Amino acid sequence: MSGRDPRWDVGPDALKKISEPGGKCDDPVAPPSQDPPNPAPSAPDDGAVQVQLNWFLRAFGNERWQFITIPLLSILVSLIAISIIVGVMGSNPINVFITFLQGAGWIMKPVYAGGFGMLSDLSNTLAAFTPMLFAALAVTIAFRGGLFNIGISGQMLISGFLASVIVGYSGLSSFVAKPLVLLIGIVTGAAIGALIGFLKYRFNINEVVASIMLNYILQYAVSYFINTRYLDQISRQSRVVSPASTLVLSGIYNSKTHQLMVSNSLPSVLKLGDIQFLVPICFVLAIVLAIALQFFLKKTRLGYEIKAVGANRRGAHYSGIRVKRTILVTMMLSGALAGLAGVSYYLGYFNSIQPDTLTSLGFDSIATALLGAAHPIGNIASSFLITTLDTGGTYMQSMMGVRQEIAQLVTGLILLFSACSAFFRWRIAISRQKAEMRAYEAAEHDVDTDLVASSQGGDAA
Amino acid sequence: MPDTDVIVEMRHITKRFPGIVANDDISLQIRQGEIFAFAGENGAGKSTLMSILFGMYQPDEGEILIRGRQVDISSPNEAVALGISMVHQHFKLVHNYTVAENIVLGIEPATRLLGLIPYVNMRPVNKVIRELSERYGLEVDPSAVIEDLPVSTQQRVEILKMLYREAEILIFDEPTAMLTPQEITYLLDIIRKLRDDGKTIILITHKLEEIKQVADRCAILNHGKLIATMDVATSSTRDMASKMVGREVIFEIDKELARPGEVVLDVQGLTIENEHHVDVTQDVSFKIHAGEIFAIAGVAGSGQVELADAIAGLSAVKTGKILLEDCDITHTLVRPRTLKGISYIPEDRQDVGLILDFLLEDNLASKAYFRAPFSRRSILQRNAFDSYADDLIRRYDIRCSSGALTMTRSMSGGNQQKAIVAREVEQDAQLMIFVQPTRGLDIGAILSIRRRMIEERDKGRAILLVSLELDEIMAVADTIGVMFAGRMIKIAPADQMTLDEVGEYMMGVKQS
Repeated sequence: MSGRDPRWDVGPDALKKISEPGGKCDDPVAPPSQDPPNPAPSAPDDGAVQVQLNWFLRAFGNERWQFITIPLLSILVSLIAISIIVGVMGSNPINVFITFLQGAGWIMKPVYAGGFGMLSDLSNTLAAFTPMLFAALAVTIAFRGGLFNIGISGQMLISGFLASVIVGYSGLSSFVAKPLVLLIGIVTGAAIGALIGFLKYRFNINEVVASIMLNYILQYAVSYFINTRYLDQISRQSRVVSPASTLVLSGIYNSKTHQLMVSNSLPSVLKLGDIQFLVPICFVLAIVLAIALQFFLKKTRLGYEIKAVGANRRGAHYSGIRVKRTILVTMMLSGALAGLAGVSYYLGYFNSIQPDTLTSLGFDSIATALLGAAHPIGNIASSFLITTLDTGGTYMQSMMGVRQEIAQLVTGLILLFSACSAFFRWRIAISRQKAEMRAYEAAEHDVDTDLVASSQGGDAA
Repeated sequence: MPDTDVIVEMRHITKRFPGIVANDDISLQIRQGEIFAFAGENGAGKSTLMSILFGMYQPDEGEILIRGRQVDISSPNEAVALGISMVHQHFKLVHNYTVAENIVLGIEPATRLLGLIPYVNMRPVNKVIRELSERYGLEVDPSAVIEDLPVSTQQRVEILKMLYREAEILIFDEPTAMLTPQEITYLLDIIRKLRDDGKTIILITHKLEEIKQVADRCAILNHGKLIATMDVATSSTRDMASKMVGREVIFEIDKELARPGEVVLDVQGLTIENEHHVDVTQDVSFKIHAGEIFAIAGVAGSGQVELADAIAGLSAVKTGKILLEDCDITHTLVRPRTLKGISYIPEDRQDVGLILDFLLEDNLASKAYFRAPFSRRSILQRNAFDSYADDLIRRYDIRCSSGALTMTRSMSGGNQQKAIVAREVEQDAQLMIFVQPTRGLDIGAILSIRRRMIEERDKGRAILLVSLELDEIMAVADTIGVMFAGRMIKIAPADQMTLDEVGEYMMGVKQS
């Protein structure tokens, strides 16, 4: 239809005012009467319509808090689903959740093996948490810039590999080695991210395709070098890196004498009452980076530009932002974070690389980022949850006698429902619109026909 | 005239939209086997009327008779059942399907392989389509994939779709808007052939020359009213044009005579091509002085929007030069142009002018966020955003539910437009480009924006106004440039041109 009468634009505006009140109807901060009536001559005056929403829509419909409420809803739904499955299998769901928390070190286990304690479990969870948070942040920043970095695993692998080869087998002292490992991680990841960004910048190659293909290239290239040069013949993995180069410290806490000892590697003999634990050096860095990223996106010029490009490329171009360059920079930052994930995973949580495999963490981090509503602070919470399930799963299955697959099913379900968060959001928006429409029609049923007409007029314009 | 000849009869059709009567008591008859054209400016109501005939809208009053029988067309499906089909301005084709697959979509000839497995047998379809294509000279290969075909061929696929469904009444909505002159000639030939074969053609257009070329009769609409139904052969285009433009109420705005100063914008021989490598403007040259409002008139799609985009730096220039205060900016980026002094209100306010998922304050500062006071050492100063937005909201009467922190998407279109106007006027740019600045606004806001344009002119700014509304151009312009089919065909001081003359140039009736 070509009937683009400028005056008709009053129509869709009128509808929009009703269907998208932007927190006007449900926002307790702004009283509904604050918005003056639409000055357009015939547009229905909607200022007076009060909409009563039910508790569900009030709780989850407020867009300002949806970055928290929607993930919570996803988790709630998945916990219910898990409870049903576990219940059908004959176990008590509450016990299952408790053993998860015990296994991850959040709650005391009834019994510990010699040399282990709650501190050991918790520190292990934190060591697993660190690469997960870095990876989720890598997904998040790309996401906010309107890009989908699906190649986190490949970027992690190459960063971890280069750091292992250059520093891990070098015998440098830990004061030189550890910062160097971090630096190599950042630089390598950023370089791969920049490459993907450049392919998009220069040749308009979709970043999803480029990063998936790079995953394969990096996986097989790294495997070739590991298998031919760096293979440990017994473990069939790459040789273990030097303790000085890893991004975790080993600690021993004696529960009897309250002595604390932290070093690069464990002493071979444990005394009575000793509890071993890990100190993930990058844990604090990851948390700080999450907060910094939030500040970056909210308060810096470049953050503004990245979000603008992510929200509307044409609009960003119009504002004078160099869209393609911003895309390149975004991918570079995302890659740098993925690189940090790589070194904290391969030279932290593990100390060797298994050839021929990409870590599933790189893919799980996509769902983790989604669960965290692509919000850096939300990512901290979602990364805690996912790693808790991951590290607590082994203990849960041994205690509850359920099969290993069930433990993975739990993680899978939460990730699945978190991927549905966009759907939840959409459903909530729809039902809120309907509720408001009903309220509106009840208030002014005679404008009903105009509403229909204006929605069609909107299609025309 | 015997009644049996009449295939479509509309009686007293009235259709209202909020704030406007799109069709006001329209009665007309269309005869079997004729080419009947609807002419009128944008928004005259021709598309609405045809959408009613095609079942997309229901009339508020009046009735429709097809082949002498009263019908109630409540959906396009019913229209198709009555033998009515429509080629929309934007084609509705599946891009990765073949021509034949698109044509049979929805009525696939399903057969059963070995009497069991259902499958679609395309072979007979291809044959039928090839025959239809040859019969009307459409030159479409049924096995070609849509995305490989140029726009004009895609349009012929739409025509084939109608023919395959054995439509008798064919509605074409602005069929030539996206075609080159040669393609237009070809299409008009096809339309003639269809008519000679007994089909009834309804042509919606605002190009009078096309009506003159092919149509038998023509209805002229203006502001929702049927002005006249005329026999094309016995009427002059000039007569049609004057009826089409009609006499409109012009908003009176007090305006002193312009005192033009130095040349601010100098456009020299600008040719711009679109992404399909078709030239959308050809060798356009003009100058705008300080303290002058230069308005470009023209029917939609004459190249004026692309011209504005190119001057603002949003799209590339093929040949020619753009000088801003004697400085060549033909190939500079958007940001340097903004800083040099160009502000721009784009045609598409929701996709280009605003970032809808940003807060209002972020949008109000989107052309200045990178410099003080909004940004210091690369850190955004939120206080500056807040106070700047509050100031603009107050001064430009932008209505929003949560002030500076309103999500832009939740605002009404009129207020979104006010936000853009506020941001662009506040830039204090030497050259201001306004494209359709008052579209979708109420009368009060329209007048205030027009007054502001004149105020800014009086301050010595150069203003380029692109508008589809002649009354707006007549009300504010100091100089009028008329574009037709990508060319600037007339530039003259506003007081030396009448509304009718501008209309005639716009329609391509009059060439200087």
